[in-house]
Amino acid sequence: MKTKLLSSNKLVLAVVCIALLLILLDIFMAFFISPLVRGARLSEPVIIVGQMVANKLLFSQKIFYLHVPVALSSFIALLFTAVFSIRYLIKRDPLDDMRAYSCTEIALVFVLATMASGILWTRFEWGSWWVWEPRLTTYFILTLMVLAYFVLRLNIEDADREASFAAVFGILAFINVPISFFVTRIVPSSIHPVIFRTDSGLSSSMLIPFIAGMIGCLLLSFVLYKLRISLKKSDFELQQVKEEFESLYKKRLKEKRVVGDK
Amino acid sequence: MFTKFLALLKKDLLLEARSKTVLSSMLIYALLVLTIYGAALSQTADNFDILQVSSGLLWALIVFTSLIGLNKTFSHEGEAGALYALLLAPFEKSLVFLSKLCANFIFLVLLEVIVVPLFYFFFLQTSSLSVQSVLLILPLLLGNVGIAGVGTLLASITQRSKSGDILLAILLVPLIFPLLLACVSASAAVIIGSAELMEGFMRSCGIAFSYDAIMLAASYALYEFVLRP
Repeated sequence: MKTKLLSSNKLVLAVVCIALLLILLDIFMAFFISPLVRGARLSEPVIIVGQMVANKLLFSQKIFYLHVPVALSSFIALLFTAVFSIRYLIKRDPLDDMRAYSCTEIALVFVLATMASGILWTRFEWGSWWVWEPRLTTYFILTLMVLAYFVLRLNIEDADREASFAAVFGILAFINVPISFFVTRIVPSSIHPVIFRTDSGLSSSMLIPFIAGMIGCLLLSFVLYKLRISLKKSDFELQQVKEEFESLYKKRLKEKRVVGDK
Repeated sequence: MFTKFLALLKKDLLLEARSKTVLSSMLIYALLVLTIYGAALSQTADNFDILQVSSGLLWALIVFTSLIGLNKTFSHEGEAGALYALLLAPFEKSLVFLSKLCANFIFLVLLEVIVVPLFYFFFLQTSSLSVQSVLLILPLLLGNVGIAGVGTLLASITQRSKSGDILLAILLVPLIFPLLLACVSASAAVIIGSAELMEGFMRSCGIAFSYDAIMLAASYALYEFVLRP
């Protein structure tokens, strides 16, 4: 038991180190190697909150190398929440519920990081901390749903019921993810930059840090997920041991009393 | 099967016709929200164009008031184990879900029949409404279907929770947000009535319709996991 724990800990540590190194590489390359981008991302100059967004060399575009991998990781974490939720509803395996719960927790971390970095960029680029723009709005709604998922879980007492209700809500909430992802493409009034276009043609000095960041974020979320799951499993085992101990203790107490009566 | 569905729906409507708890509380709540709007708009300047915000105000009123009704979806079923009896009865559980959904839809329509004219009476009498305002019926109906569909599913979740009323709001409002946005823009288009906005009307109604279709399908697939004793 002890050796197994140690080796898995070593593995976790190694993966964390790789993930952090990749993210550091991403940040380093983004600032020192990748070229500045001409601000041609809007089809025409647009006035946003009283400021003209014109074509210029965009230093703020550097956010792309971290903000986008983090946001995509949050989407992927929520995808896994939905997958495990569906699996739970079909198979009724408590482990699947535990997995869905952990995925949502990881999603919350990445959603909050996306929000924080995005808001800074919005302030710099659009001149306002918050704009009710389709992408921002749908992502904000996503944040509220992730928070609501936890509120729901805390408010249901019966464990089986909590699991199936949370699964149902997790699936419903996931429907918003594709909406949030594609909204910059389908709503013409969206001013959020559209990434993942076939015509964008990133140069390798831009693609490499982005991919490094993407892999780094995915590895990081995977490790966080693994840690969370192992914590929950040990918690579950601890509860079982506690219950066992308590029943044993009561039994012994009873026996003692019987002996004492004699 | 259809007769069974009608019997279930009739039961819900009859219960409401006798007790009048849901509709009366929804109506009084809507009146209160309108009163609050009165205070909120009391300090606006003379040239303030109420038409610009009226569609949003109307939908805020509908969403808040729908929460009151949805919370009471299962209130009658708690008495004397009625829900257990309903789920043990020899018909498919989907009928229970569909009849509750229809009842909620009818309550919302009845509420709007009273509240929308009241809204006009309180806030829009002096403004010149466009002719197309009659088309408001379309986004209202689409909105009602979506709110009733998702709301009925969520109400059956929250009725078993420790803090039912507030939990329903926390779950429902983010989920119906895309529908709300589409309905507000469609309603604004017909209330203001300019040509460029009218182009967006059909698109917004299309978005609302596809939202309704997706969410009703998802709710129908998932209701059996929440409708268990």
